[in-house]
Formats: sequence, C-alpha cells, structure tokens
Amino acid sequence: MTRRDFLTGTVKAIISALVTGVTVVAAYFMYPAGLRSRTMVYCDCMDEDALPKKGVKRAEYRYTQKGREMAVGVFIVKDDSAVYALSPVCTHLGCLVNYNRHKNEFICPCHGGRYDASGKVISGPPPGPLARLPLKIENGRVYIGVMLPAAAAA
Amino acid sequence: MGRAFDWLDKKFRIKAPHKGFLRRRLPPGLSYFYCLGGAAFTSYLILFITGLMLSLYYIPSEMEAYESVLTIQREVHLGWLIRSVHKWSATLLIVFILCHTIRVFISRAYKSPKELNWIVGCLTLVSAFASGFTGYLLPWDQKSYWATTVGTSMAATIPIMGRHLMYLIRGGMDVGGSTLIRFYSFHVLWLPVTMAALLWAHFHMVKRLGIKGRL
Ligand code: HEM
Ligand code: FES
Repeated sequence: MTRRDFLTGTVKAIISALVTGVTVVAAYFMYPAGLRSRTMVYCDCMDEDALPKKGVKRAEYRYTQKGREMAVGVFIVKDDSAVYALSPVCTHLGCLVNYNRHKNEFICPCHGGRYDASGKVISGPPPGPLARLPLKIENGRVYIGVMLPAAAAA
Repeated sequence: MGRAFDWLDKKFRIKAPHKGFLRRRLPPGLSYFYCLGGAAFTSYLILFITGLMLSLYYIPSEMEAYESVLTIQREVHLGWLIRSVHKWSATLLIVFILCHTIRVFISRAYKSPKELNWIVGCLTLVSAFASGFTGYLLPWDQKSYWATTVGTSMAATIPIMGRHLMYLIRGGMDVGGSTLIRFYSFHVLWLPVTMAALLWAHFHMVKRLGIKGRL
C-alpha cells in the first residue's frame, strides 16, 4: 500500500463515518421524545345516571394539558350484558366515526367504513373493530381510561 | 448582455460556458409538448415567490396559524390574491410535472444516457407531492387536520417500522402542534431547497445530454 492509497482510504472512511453519524443523529433528533412516558389516566366523563339505558350515547371526557382544557369524544355503549366505551377513532386511517341512530351503525366519513353498535366491522376498509377504552365507575361518576403524556392531568 | 451584467461577469465568468444561452439551435422535431417541463419550472418559480411573501404573515403555531391565514385572506393588502396564486400554481405544478413525465415517457427520453435525469425527475415529482401534502396542513382547519391525520396514518401500515415512521413524521403520537411546525419547516425550508438542488441537476443534465438525442 502506498502512502497515497492509505491517505485516500482514510479520508473516505472518515467521510463515510461522518455522513452515517450525522444521518443517525439527525433521525434520532427528529424522532419525538417522550412517547414512552405516557401513562393510563382515568378522565372524568359523565354522571353515572347519564349512562345510556340501552344503545349508544355520544359523550366527552376531559383533561388539561399545558394549561388547556381538552374535551375528547367517546361513545358509551350499553348492550344486554355490559356497558363499555368505544373510541371514535376509525381503525382504517384515523378519522372520527359518527353514530347513525337510524341504522344503529358507526359510519366513517372518510372512506365509508361501517361498524355495528358493538364496534365490529360491517363493511369498508377498516382492518379491525373500534377500540374499547377502559371504563370505570367511582362515586357516581364515569371515568374513561386513556394513555396521556406525563404533562397531562385528569 | 447589458453593461452592468458584463461588469459582474468579469468577476463571475459564467457567460463563457453558457454562450448563446438564448440563441442555441434546437434539434428538429420538437413540439410544444417539450415546453411542459418549462411550464412546471415556471409554476415552481411562482410558488417560490408567493411562498416567500406568505411566510411574512403566516404564523406556524397551534394557537395562531388559523387566525393568521384569516388575516392574510381578509386584511393583508392583496393577501387573498397572493394566497390564491400560491394555491393555483401548486395545483398547476403537479399537473405540468405529470404531463411532462408522460411526454418524456412517450418520447422514450428516459433511455440511456438520460436514465439519471429520469431518476432526478422522479425525485422532483416526489418532492412536489411532499410539498403539496405539507402545505395542505398549514391553514390548520378541520379539512387540513383530517387530511393530515389520514395521510400520515398511511405510513403506519408499513410493516414493522411503520408506526415509528408515522411518529417521526408527526413529531408525536397524534397530529398536533409539533406536526404543524415540522410540516412548516419541511414546506418552506427543506423541500424548496431540495427541489432547487434537484432542478439544478435536472437542467444541467438536459444541457449536457441534449433534449432529443438518440431514441
Ligand atoms: C418541478 C418539476 C420539473 C421541472 C420544473 C422539470 C423541468 C424540465 C425542463 C425545463 C426540461 C427540459 C425541456 C423539457 O423536456 O420539457 C426537462 C427535461 C427532462 N425531464 Fe423534467 N422537470 C420536472 C420533473 C420531471 C419528472 C417528474 C421527470 C420524470 C419522472 C422528468 C424527466 C425529465 C427528463 C428525462 C428530461 C430530459 C428530456 C429529454 O431529453 O427529452 N422531469 N425537465
Ligand atoms: S379512515 Fe375511516 S374508513 Fe378510512
């Protein structure tokens, strides 16, 4: 190996290492921090008496984040056996579904996905049922469990 | 050219290698379909200029973005005009690039030795789509919010890495303030600069390899 070959090789290696390093650091820098630090928080939703006797009811749960009041929609469903909360987030690409009372179905405005009242897919592109959120009744109030960033509070 | 330019060129010397820039002989058999690339470039220039102007008033913040767009639309002198021109030329850019690509495809201008220019063209097309996508979020209204939610969710359907890619694009789990800032930066900084570099390469190769050449 000549002196020139050695130097050229070294320079090439240094440049490749720099480019790789910068790319990795840049990607890591861009990746959002704090995703892991989410915890399950039970957010106040409604009075126990306001629970639907039968069928689907649209409600909201509330929390504060960075000093702002957030109110997020959720569907409370009561069927013969149980009461549960369904997330309105379509499992296809994340639009919010609407409840259609006449058809007793959830219909997604984005690509026409349809779910029955228990959240199971009837037709359309959604790959799976609407997510069920944990629901807890305590001291006459209904609470919905959601994963929130550490900074948020119920 | 003019005296002022000649004085500058004594220092820069860009004239010699570009001699007769406007007087070059065109190869026979061209038609107006060969202007589509130029039309796309013109749209890009209009977008660049109107974009620079809009960036003087637009505020890329969760709380103020929507209001600032209303201000541009209603209060800023000719704001409605600049904004409309930006929107329309964005649409036209996509139309012209697609037509230009079809022309290149039909006339088989992608063949060697111009294959790299085809690749550069494809990257330009991708940057143009990305610019349209990121720009669409900036008004920060219901339509742009949900379009971005759906659009970025598509990344999550890629196996294994998809979810992380989506978080990376969004700058968080959901579309929010950090997505808006991220998209703003991409839209006014990263993508225009990338496109300028790509277009330089594109035109350089057009000049070196010729526009018609062997088919
Ligand atoms: C902003 C986007 C674009 C601009 C401004 C642009 C502009 C131009 C211009 C001005 C020319 C020379 C004249 C002409 O053929 O029209 C050209 C040539 C060319 N473009 Fe593009 N272009 C763009 C996108 C694309 C795309 C998406 C492709 C292919 C996927 C592409 C492939 C080519 C090729 C292969 C040539 C050489 C044509 C030949 O030799 O006949 N360009 N482009
Ligand atoms: S997002 Fe609901 S059907 Fe596509």
